[in-house]
Amino acid sequence: MKRSLVGVSLLTMGLVFATPATADPDSAFAEELHTYGIYGQRDYNAWIGKILCKRLYNDVDHNAYESAKFVHANLDKNSTTEQSWQFLAAALRTYCPDQLPILEDAARQ
Amino acid sequence: MSAMFSTIVRRAGAATVVIFTVAMALPSAASADATDDYPIPNRMLTTTCTAEQVMAAARDVEPVYYERYMIDYNNKAPDIHQAVQDRIHWFYSMDFAGRRAYSEEIATNIYGESLAFRWPNWAKLFFNNKGVAAHTTDICNQYPSGDMSVWVW
Repeated sequence: MKRSLVGVSLLTMGLVFATPATADPDSAFAEELHTYGIYGQRDYNAWIGKILCKRLYNDVDHNAYESAKFVHANLDKNSTTEQSWQFLAAALRTYCPDQLPILEDAARQ
Repeated sequence: MSAMFSTIVRRAGAATVVIFTVAMALPSAASADATDDYPIPNRMLTTTCTAEQVMAAARDVEPVYYERYMIDYNNKAPDIHQAVQDRIHWFYSMDFAGRRAYSEEIATNIYGESLAFRWPNWAKLFFNNKGVAAHTTDICNQYPSGDMSVWVW
């Protein structure tokens, strides 16, 4: 009896600390953007996130500053520079984590 | 009384015929005709940019539009790629009068652009959207004119 109670409480603990299942990366990305006060169309933001990765892979943008500039040009006109960088970091984490070092490079400069 | 009434009716009928005839003699332009802004946006009739400059601008300021066009483009065969490049180079090599005439041609003759039968949206990035045309032509002259890398995406 005691053993089964321990089992149930462990299970409950697991549920409490479980991270919410996200249906797709685009939703997770949109949710993260909301925490920065970035709204707008979900699909559009996902496109911009994926395209900024592609621009890095295709050598159109060469560093985080160029990526942030691209993001800023394509977000709402009232967006701040800080939001562009938050968008950039979220997009790198979500869609091309292998490109995250460009943020560290920018921080070192 | 009835004689006077029939005279009035006859005169009114004659006047109607005259008005109708005048209307027939001066028809307004058919709606299928081109204008300086349709089907090809005015900005694209007047810009001095090359196709590559327009594309480079679109890649920066209309990235989703550019992305979708290039996805479509990449799904076409190499001979269509060449045909698209040749055709759009030909278009931008013309002056306003030539481009305007081409706009008229594609507005009034469905066989006026044979490339459209192989890829209906072949010029979508350039001609389909006035807002996109405005955004790209605002800044296109800042980009190199012959950078063919914009076709690789």
